[in-house]
Amino acid sequence: MRHPADISGESRRLDALAPKLMGMAGGVGLLGLIISVALAFMTEDGVRRAYHAYMVNFCYFLSISLGGLFFTLIQHLSRAGWSVVVRRLSEAVGANTLVMLVLFIPILLGMHHLFPWTSAELLQNDPVLQWKQPYLNAPFFLIRCAVYFGVWCGLSYFLLKRSLDQDASRDPKITLSMERMSAPGLIAFAITLTFASFDFLMSRDYHWFSTIFGVYFFAGSFLSFMAILPVILLFLKSNGRLRHAVSAEHYHDIGKLLFAMNVFWAYIAFSQFMLIWYANLPEETGWYHRRITGDWLNLSYALLFGHFIIPFLGLIGRVSKRRLRLLTPWAVWVLAMHWLDLYWLAMPEYWLRVEGAPVGTIPFSLLDLSTFLGIGGIWVAVLALWLRDHSLIPEGDPRLAESLAFENA
Amino acid sequence: MVTRMSTTVIREIDNTSNDPRQRPVLITQGADFGPITDSVSAVAEAARPPKIWYVAMGISLCLTGILGASVGYLIWMGTGIWGLQVPVAWGYAIVNFVFWVGIGHAGTLISAILFLFRQKWRTSINRFAEAMTIFAVICAGMFPGIHVGRVWFEYWMFPIPNYLNLWPQFRSPLLWDVFAVSTYMTVSLLFWYVGMVPDLATFRDRSKTRLRQVMYGIFALGWRGSSRQWHRYEVAYLILAALATPLVLSVHSIVSFDFAVSILPGWHTTIFPPYFVAGAIFSGFAMVMTLAIPARAMFNLKHIITLRHLENMNKIMLVTGMMVGYAYSIEFFIAWYSGNPAEAFAFINRAFGPYAWAYWTMVSCNVLSPQVFWFKWCRTSIPVMFVISILINIGMWFERFVIVASSLSRDFLPSSWGYYIPTRWDVLTFAGSFGLFMTLFLLFCRYLPMVAMAEVKSVLPQAGRHPGHGQYWGEITPEENGEDRP
Amino acid sequence: MHDHTAKPQTKAEPSTRVFAVLAEFPSGDEMLEAARKVRDAGYTKWDTHSPYPVHGIDEAMGIRRTILPTIVFVCGLTGALTGLALQWWTSSVYYPVIVSGKPMFSLPANIPIIFELTVLFSAFGAVFGMFALNGLPSLYHGIFNSGRFNSRMSTDRFYISIEAADPKFNRDSARKLLESIGGQSVEVVEERAAVEFPPMLRKWGITALLVLGAFALLPPLYTLRARTRTSEVTRMQLIWDMDQQPRFRAQMKNPLFADGRAMRPQVPGTVARGEAFADDHLHRGLVDGRFAATNALPVTESLLQRGRKKFDIYCAQCHGLDGLGQGMISVRAERLQEGTWVPPLSLHDEVVRTREDGHIFNTITNGIRTMPPYGDQIRVEDRWAIVAYVRALQRSQNATLEDVPSDRRGELP
Repeated sequence: MRHPADISGESRRLDALAPKLMGMAGGVGLLGLIISVALAFMTEDGVRRAYHAYMVNFCYFLSISLGGLFFTLIQHLSRAGWSVVVRRLSEAVGANTLVMLVLFIPILLGMHHLFPWTSAELLQNDPVLQWKQPYLNAPFFLIRCAVYFGVWCGLSYFLLKRSLDQDASRDPKITLSMERMSAPGLIAFAITLTFASFDFLMSRDYHWFSTIFGVYFFAGSFLSFMAILPVILLFLKSNGRLRHAVSAEHYHDIGKLLFAMNVFWAYIAFSQFMLIWYANLPEETGWYHRRITGDWLNLSYALLFGHFIIPFLGLIGRVSKRRLRLLTPWAVWVLAMHWLDLYWLAMPEYWLRVEGAPVGTIPFSLLDLSTFLGIGGIWVAVLALWLRDHSLIPEGDPRLAESLAFENA
Repeated sequence: MVTRMSTTVIREIDNTSNDPRQRPVLITQGADFGPITDSVSAVAEAARPPKIWYVAMGISLCLTGILGASVGYLIWMGTGIWGLQVPVAWGYAIVNFVFWVGIGHAGTLISAILFLFRQKWRTSINRFAEAMTIFAVICAGMFPGIHVGRVWFEYWMFPIPNYLNLWPQFRSPLLWDVFAVSTYMTVSLLFWYVGMVPDLATFRDRSKTRLRQVMYGIFALGWRGSSRQWHRYEVAYLILAALATPLVLSVHSIVSFDFAVSILPGWHTTIFPPYFVAGAIFSGFAMVMTLAIPARAMFNLKHIITLRHLENMNKIMLVTGMMVGYAYSIEFFIAWYSGNPAEAFAFINRAFGPYAWAYWTMVSCNVLSPQVFWFKWCRTSIPVMFVISILINIGMWFERFVIVASSLSRDFLPSSWGYYIPTRWDVLTFAGSFGLFMTLFLLFCRYLPMVAMAEVKSVLPQAGRHPGHGQYWGEITPEENGEDRP
Repeated sequence: MHDHTAKPQTKAEPSTRVFAVLAEFPSGDEMLEAARKVRDAGYTKWDTHSPYPVHGIDEAMGIRRTILPTIVFVCGLTGALTGLALQWWTSSVYYPVIVSGKPMFSLPANIPIIFELTVLFSAFGAVFGMFALNGLPSLYHGIFNSGRFNSRMSTDRFYISIEAADPKFNRDSARKLLESIGGQSVEVVEERAAVEFPPMLRKWGITALLVLGAFALLPPLYTLRARTRTSEVTRMQLIWDMDQQPRFRAQMKNPLFADGRAMRPQVPGTVARGEAFADDHLHRGLVDGRFAATNALPVTESLLQRGRKKFDIYCAQCHGLDGLGQGMISVRAERLQEGTWVPPLSLHDEVVRTREDGHIFNTITNGIRTMPPYGDQIRVEDRWAIVAYVRALQRSQNATLEDVPSDRRGELP
């Protein structure tokens, strides 16, 4: 065990960085959204396409935010010491579920584009859909969404708020109260995340079903948070923040979790694929069949290699885990692959039940990029907003010293 | 050197404080290298084990005899002596296999995953959890072995060409099982043994008789505690842990594939792999608990396996119990959501059909009973946790029974429905497997280091008396050490 | 509490030599600090010993990181390739067998075994690699000649040993160094100059090994011989496996019966249960030796419903739900251009429409061209139900205005 890192002399606030970041990111975000709207009305079938692109990117940033919330919860639950110095960042990322609530409004507006089960005509002719109607109907969907966002926003705001309170009061009882909240919080999180993944992604093909789907979405979610953490850290460090607080020992652990979650994702993805492939039941294989038809097959292979094999080899050694400048490119790579994964989850259903659709082609569009920039810009701006007036590490946490002295044994 | 454990009174000390300013103590009494070595070695060095050991050994040997007799009769007569009958052609044998293999997961989990997560409390319990793993896997491996009926053809499962030049069928999940379970057995054995080498050296050095010196000496491999050896040893141990972790996941996932690659309603569902893994960890921890509670009392180890250790395991049981409950619920929901009538029926049938009694036993033992662990007094009450751990063992056995019996007995064709009733031989074989398990475990407790002494030493405060250290890990304070528990 | 009495040190006999100078330390930290100084003094053949791995000692002693991870990686790769090659070769090259419609080489189904072998080989690499690098098992090491070391090292004491094999080694300077850096009970460990093998063991041991080795070769040699030769001797059957069961085969004698025949003739004047096909119309579709013109059962709505159900199950795959002959099997056979395929006749063809009910019944029962007989699969009442439903289908395709109920004729276009 080494001495706790001396952080008395370093900058642990965003200060001038915050308004700059909020201005730039917010600007990019607004511009992205404006371009998206323009493109939507200018191109053929643009509105439907725009909603789909929006859906992918919404789920992408939602999954990162939920990953942050989960990270905070699990660190409290396990009374982790090592992670205290990065917990403020995870709290802020988790609190971004609040901005996702605002950004959810367009999804509601485009429900009939995104979810074919909303169509009354389909309902009339499809006995399977009639069976599912007690669950798949608009009012109940809205109620469920309210519950999801209620849980996420409530939990993440509570954790951020209490932690900020502790900065000032240094009261160890606050730590206990957060730990106590985390156990039931995690259960609520697990249930809402599962059903949200069913509602937002699985029900896009309303015939298909897979019990592991919630776990699949969770794996991607936690993975993407572990990937965005090094990116945020590198940004802060290169701007002179948190020079000593976060050390190679912490990157090493973040890298290990990134590696582990990447393998976990592969395990879950393989389990789902293998079981459906092996049993070969028509009601299940349709979903995968769509993803191995035409160009989609190439995308599936891209995921196999890009999402699993390449980062597996890249992150297995300790060299790339302990150096932020090596870890971050891998993290960016994983973030890109996570985006592709969500695209692969959501987009093949774009052609679902469309007359004369060019099945097997990938409908890449400029809208994917513009909505990415739109949501992403706003997301980053709000992240900076949470951190604007506060320290970047939980100053009052009783385990801060342990975290500063942390060493990989 | 005389063992002085008889003069030291080991008290139950509450070290379950949650004060975030300070890490709890892990060894509550005599937390120094010498006393720890003494108390762990005392078990193996005592002239006679405690009386209760003989009683337990007697019962276990009787049960093992019953096992031998039932397996012998089975091989002589064939699987007809069991209650297997179409449509339920997988009965107790598979249920018991999955049950034991599941229990066999906690040892490697405690060793490997908790090691990777730097959970230092694992050091007190990992050794005998690993031993338990190996004995449970032995029991598990036995069942599919005898279930094939003609045991003399077992070599057909190995990748050697038989006289027809035919190879095993690599696309079958049953063959994956052969590879998974034997790999798991091998790696667990290596992991257990590698971890034990330094402790065997301790036993060797303390041995008084020639026989003990030679026996422990052979297995200690000439270990001399050299730092150059320790360096490679630690790297090897870390790598083994990193290998064993995905291995634990893979083994029970592959066991779940036995069911899930089929098209039988109630078996074919994608959540099976992680759900089985969670269940395995759950049942394994319950079994560790069931063994740890009597063992720490019998062998005077209450200061090494403390209330804190037990409380932590209770928390893990609560978490994994919730995971299993999550899987039950999601399965049920998707069975309805799928719109597949056969799928929906399978689950309605589970809960309200002829096996409803088993289903509700499973739900109440696995999901409801661990809920008491939300309360701290339950988590720290020895009788409560002992009862709950046994309930979980029962519940997890029923989980496998429900999966096997309810789905097979009523599948797509109502005309071929049936009801599975085990015979006395099924029950005796199962009961006998506990005898084998307990016999091996009691022998282990008597002759091998039950606690990983070297590892416990390395997490003591003295092991790293560096500046700032005691503040974070394990300095005993009067407040922590004060209160006795009756 | 610890009165580990140190055993008397090895007596210095003429045949002994110095192995090392050994110093004891009460704690890991003190040993760690001392180790730094020994390293700085420039020794190379020296070591520290502790009951548990002391944190930071690698850096203090200047131990380089082991190559074990690389060994494990190579082993793991070997395991993965072995798993892949084994399954690919056996199931798609050497002895391909179709199983559950999967391709011969089906990678998803091969992943579990590839994974297991990867882990298994890696674990072997980690454990045996570590043993090999550590020189374990080691039968002998000079350090064990110190009684104090033997009794305390694995319990609670820490040691530094500077070995005589070190080029810089000098008994007195090593001793002085160890004393100056806080070493306690510094001792000179001596070992016997030559470690002797007991002569009896050497003599008999080698002979015994040779004999055992020769015997061990016998079974494989015998197996090899047996695999290359044929034999007149009947195979030894240790386990009978119901291969040889006592039973009566056709044309055998059976002394239980008066006529000694094992095969029993039918009892005259008896009919097996369910085989009395007394009603020609119902069972054969014949009336007076010709095909019956009418259905053998009264045509009711429930009969038609049943006929429809059975038609959809048994007939529609080829004939199509509408009877036009565009069933899934037929369409696919034509797409694949199966040479032996005879497409089914449309049931609305004039030939079929004019056939008697009994004729259609006969076709269902006995089959025609590539259509197999269904008499064994469909109960006789259901076959008549299908006939009735086929009639209804034919009528639907050739309906006249009169067939429409008069009050609904206005809905027609």
